[in-house]
Parts: sequence; C-alpha cells; structure tokens
Amino acid sequence: METTLSPPGGSPPRAAAPIPFFSQAATFDRLWKEIRTGCVDVLDRGKFSHGAKVAELERRLALWTGATHVVGVNSGTDALVLLLRAAGLRPGDEVVVPAYSFIATASSVVLAGGVPVFADIEERGHGVDPASVDAVAGPRTRMVMPAHLFDRLADLRGVCEVARRRGLTVLEDSAEAIGMRLDGTHAGLVGAGGVLSFFPSKTLGAIGDAGALLTDDDDIADTARALRHHGRGGRTLDHFPGIANPTVLPGCNSKMDDLQAAVLLAKLARLDADIARRSELATRYDVRLRDLPGVLAVPGAVPPHPGGNRVCYVYLVEVESRDALAAHLAAAGIGTEIYYPLPLHLQPCFSHLGHVRGDFPRAEAACERALALPLYPDLSDAEADRVCDEIVGFYRGRRA
Amino acid sequence: MSRVPFFAADLFEDDRATLLRTVYAVGTGDAQKFILGEHTARLERELRGRLGAADVVACSSGTSALTLLLAAMDVGPGDEVVVPAFGCAPLAATVVGAGARPVFADIDPVTLTADPAAAESLVTVRTKAVMPAHMFSVMADMPRFRDLADRHGLRLVEDSALAQGGTLGGRPAGRWGDAGVYSFVQVKTFGMPGEGGVVITDDPALAAHVRVLRNHGQDAARRFHHHRVGYNSRFDEVMAAFQLHRLTGLDDRLSRRAEIASYYSRRFAPLVERGIVAPPVGGDGRFHYVYTVLTERRDALAAHLAARDIATHVYYPRPLPAQPAFTRFAPPGASWPVAESAARRNLSLPLHPRLADAEVERIADAVCAFAHGSPQENP
Repeated sequence: METTLSPPGGSPPRAAAPIPFFSQAATFDRLWKEIRTGCVDVLDRGKFSHGAKVAELERRLALWTGATHVVGVNSGTDALVLLLRAAGLRPGDEVVVPAYSFIATASSVVLAGGVPVFADIEERGHGVDPASVDAVAGPRTRMVMPAHLFDRLADLRGVCEVARRRGLTVLEDSAEAIGMRLDGTHAGLVGAGGVLSFFPSKTLGAIGDAGALLTDDDDIADTARALRHHGRGGRTLDHFPGIANPTVLPGCNSKMDDLQAAVLLAKLARLDADIARRSELATRYDVRLRDLPGVLAVPGAVPPHPGGNRVCYVYLVEVESRDALAAHLAAAGIGTEIYYPLPLHLQPCFSHLGHVRGDFPRAEAACERALALPLYPDLSDAEADRVCDEIVGFYRGRRA
Repeated sequence: MSRVPFFAADLFEDDRATLLRTVYAVGTGDAQKFILGEHTARLERELRGRLGAADVVACSSGTSALTLLLAAMDVGPGDEVVVPAFGCAPLAATVVGAGARPVFADIDPVTLTADPAAAESLVTVRTKAVMPAHMFSVMADMPRFRDLADRHGLRLVEDSALAQGGTLGGRPAGRWGDAGVYSFVQVKTFGMPGEGGVVITDDPALAAHVRVLRNHGQDAARRFHHHRVGYNSRFDEVMAAFQLHRLTGLDDRLSRRAEIASYYSRRFAPLVERGIVAPPVGGDGRFHYVYTVLTERRDALAAHLAARDIATHVYYPRPLPAQPAFTRFAPPGASWPVAESAARRNLSLPLHPRLADAEVERIADAVCAFAHGSPQENP
C-alpha cells in the first residue's frame, strides 16, 4: 500500500474537512432502505398528508412517550398554538413564558389570542425561574408555559408548585424535549399538554417541517384534532370522507405530510441509540471543555433538576468572547449557532410590551454567552475532538 | 366494472421514481437544507415567470397563505371582511383567526361565487377587505370586485386556492386581487404529495411582508431577530424540487382536465330539461378543478352513481354561516337563499387527469341514465 506522508516541516497540512453545525446525511443514507419502503407505502396508499403514515407515527410516538394522545401537525410552532387554544386560552389571557427561548414560545401565545408575560430564567440551566414566574403572574394570568431547552427540563416541580398555588394551567414548550422525563413522565405530560418539533436538526428530525402535540387530556386532544384540519369535527385522519364533516371550530390547516412521517418512523426506530450517541458526544465535550479558561459553563457541570434526566439535543456552552470564538470556529470550518442572540422581551415584535434591558438580567446574560457546538449522531469522535482543539487553541491564543 | 374513486390514489404514479430520488437527494444532500432553500426559490421564480406576477411566495398551505395575507394587510380585531356564504371553511376561519369578523355575502346562482352586489350591500365603515373565492370551476366576477374594492378603498384578497390554471380576460386567477393564493394539496390542479401553497401578488411590499411573516417574523439576514409576530408557514425543499419537475407536465394535465370537463358538459347540457344543471363548455374565467352539477335530486343521483361504483362528493352541504363554527357571525334573521339552494343541490363528479376515457364515458352515461330514467322533477 502506498502512503504519502508530508516531510516534517514541509508543506502545511491540508485544511481539514468542514464540520457543519448539523447533518443527518449519513443517518439518512444508512436508513434509506426503511425510509424508501415507507415512502413507497405512502405512494401506494395515495394519501400524502394527514394519512395512514401520520396515524402510524402518532401511535408509535404515543407508545414511546407514554402519551394518551399524540396529534401530528405541520410544525412545533403550530402545535403550541393549537395546544394553547385547545387548553382554553381566551382572548387577552396572559401566559407566563421564559424571556429566554425560541420565539415560538412567546409568539404562539399571541397567535392563540393571548398575551405573553415574560419571566427570567434560573441562574444555571436556562429554564424559567419559578420564583420569577410567581413574581410576574398577575390577575389576568391563566397559564404558564416553561420551555425545556437544549438538554434538560425546566424546573417543572417548582413551576407546578407556583401554578398550583396560583391556579394556573401548566403547558410545556417541550418542542426540543423528546426523551426528557421527570420521574419517568415524558416532557409535555407533566402539565396539561406539550409539543414536539420535528424540525430537521431536532433529536427526532424530519426533512421538512413537522410537529406534534402531546397530552393525556381527551378534550384537549379532540379540540386540537379538529383545529388542525379546518375545524372539522369527527374523524378526518386517514379518512377521506371526513372532509365533509361539519366545521365545528374556526380551525386552520396544520396537517402533517405522510412522507415526513415515513422519515420520522424510520428514525424513531433508532431514537434510543441516537440519544445514547448524543450523550456520548456531550460527555466527550464536557471532559475537554469543563475546566478550560474562557469556558464559563458546560452542560455536564450543571446537574438536571431532581427527577429529571438529560437528553442532549443541543450542546450549549457559555463562554467569554462568544462572538470571537464563533468567528474563529467558522474560520476553521466549524459551524456553530447562537441560541439565542436576543432575549424575547427585547425582540422588536414585543417592543409594545415596554420592556427594557435590565428587566431580565439572567436571560440577557445568557444571550451574550451562549454558543451551541455541533452535536448530532453522525458527528465522529475525531470531529468532536477537533472542535475542542480549536476552542482550546482559541483561548490559549488569547491568553498568550 | 371497477370502482371509480372520487380522488385518484395514483396521482403521482408516473413520477414515483422522481419522487423517491428527490427524497433521497434532499435527505443526503451536502447542503442539508430542507426548508425554504434553493429549490423553493426556484419554484417561486418559475411560477412568477409563468404568471407574470411581481412575486410568488411559497408557504405551508393555501389556507396559511390567506392567513399570511390578512396579517400582512393588518386585518385584525374590529375589522370586517366580506366573504362568500358558500365555500370552504378557510374563507371564514382565516378571518376569525385574524381576530376580525367574517361578513357573509350571498352568491350568484349560476357561477356559485360571491355576488358583487350582495357583497357591496354589506360594506360598512368597519370593512377592511373583501375576499371573493373562485368556486369548483368558475372564477368570481373579479372585474366587478376590483371595481368595488377600488371605489370603497378596500383590500381585495382573491381566494384562488383551487383555481390555478384559470384566466379571466387574459389575467390568471390569483392576479386579480391585491394578492391571491394557490393551494398545492394533492387533489388541486398543481397538487403535490404534501401540503403547500403560495401567495401571488404584484405588490412587492406586500410580498416582502409575507416573506417575513411566513418564517416567524424573522429578519431576512439576522437569524433570531424577529420584527413581527409571525408564523411557521414554510415550504419543504423535497416538495419544491418535485414540483419543479411536475411543472413541465402541468399544461398537459390542465388540458386533460378541460377535455374531461368539456365532455361532461356536452353530454349534460340537455339534462337541464330534466333538472340537472351542469356548467357550460369552456368559456372565459374557467378552470377545471372540480366538476359540479346542481340538482334537487342530489342525494338520489349520488345513490344512483354509488350503486354503479362511481364515487361522488358533496363539497359544501351547508352554507358557511350555517357551519357550527360560524353561526355566531350570522346576523339574526339573515339568510342566504342562493347559497342555501346551492348547498342543497351540489354534487361533484370525479375529475382528474388520470381518469380514462372509458371511465369518463361511464360516469356520463350513468348521470344521463339517471336523468332519463326517473320522472322529471316539477319546475
């Protein structure tokens, strides 16, 4: 076998292959036989949305999560809007949400006719602070919706305690939280209902938009099922004649595509292994980064709340000189994401709520320091190591 | 004889290999771009060129396209939107979803689309927009709606969700309003194996607004900066790539639909004497999405066809203001006699490009046999 080795001190090493922030290409290729079979089945049946594959996915997810009802829809955002409406949100009702999350945690409240009220997050771990929920809830507040971000549940026990005392309904923005459980109960089922997003980069990801609502509440499920298909009552899923059912509610069109359901079913079969691989990679990052000067917090250094597990959807570090580090990694061909650059209370779309910088200092600080590193089952150990090498090199260089 | 289903199950039979190839290519592609990527942008460009529209914006469904438009036009609480009393739920549900009030106008007895005079009589100081809808195979009277909207300073939203392929006075459906929409749900004329739709508009500012609203109100350049409370109403790359492939066959499929509809209409024209009213052969402002006849003996005709293994469908068994979701928007004592009559009499026959000539003839024979075989209804 012929090998070529660069002589010591010779030409510079060839640039390493880029490491994208996210890819599922290798997984998809490996699962193609199963995915193809599922797609062919969809073609054979001839119903391409709201059909038999979506029904099958709902059943399989119900088994996997333990939810009584899984309602497949077009996106995690739609699932939140339908959940809020189905749980009885009335126009003008307030819903307490964290000031640090993806926009949908708050925009879904507006789209459902309510008013978001922001609460700050905890000192560590990025979840909403129950004490802040208690402080911001007022007489018009009817619900609280913590978001489970990145790798852990918010302090659900704390939030539920405040909610019980103040008579609030708890809904969960569990869009990122597949696999996360509190005392064995899946995220989204501790309160009255939750959601899943199947955005491609999610722990269980489609190759397009898709989402689902989870609940053990029969009424919430029935209402959401009607709302997702033009407010039509009765059975419509995998049931063509259902399109003539009476319109019982002003609904929307949020039907899931069966081809996406076919992809999700193939990936669901190996979800446990994917979650385990994510965990391995997260631990690998933790070990290399936890004591590194410049790195303020790694996920592994912050234990989950009692009763909760860890499922690493996003590996998010808090770092000094975040933007410079991100630029350094980008120059080295390594993709990162900033979750999130701006807290919700300072988003232009919520300027009418009158918040200013300083209102929720922990959320604001997190936005300055948070950086998500590549983490997905297709990422190799060597690639994760290279990400760490670059981070080590960056902070060493700044201190030299 | 085999059963003729109302909806074809084999719509994409000729493109199976392409669809599977597309799923694999997008799933394993280097870009790992799945939503609102280059295929979507190209589909928007192709449709823009085809329609001669200033912009086409792809989103998650035809219904969602209406929702995005109403939001982009700032239709909200306190506003009224005049909509037809006969048609699909989104006509009213999107208005309710925007926080506004749907006001139902009766329809024209021949076209089954909103009657411009009825619509005009409902315009008040609170009216923000008027939203006529094309129905089954006939476009609404868009010149009169354009005139009405201009005279009253109203926004004109054209619900052309099902009318892709239609033109009126040389102008495509979707381009008569301030904006229009198409739905690509599988059964539509440019249907696809998934959910999706587009907004069509000649108003670049409105299009820009819709683009922001379809992706969480997000800044086009700065991710996670949100100018408006927006929606998640995006378009999947698999579907866009597949639709680009399907676009080449669209004209042929539209022609086949027109051919079948014309055949039906020629066969059914004499049946008007026997109480079955069919749409005319061709004509301006037509598109061939759904073929619908009107008859007081609707249920008997449906049963007659069902007994001969021909599936039919009653799209709208009741007017919109009589749907439980919308009764609260029906003023006390108001009635929509033409819409009510249409709801009682409409029956749709199979119409899709994969119907064989023999099937089309069999359906026409069965309808004619029914008309001739049973006693003529009293006028």
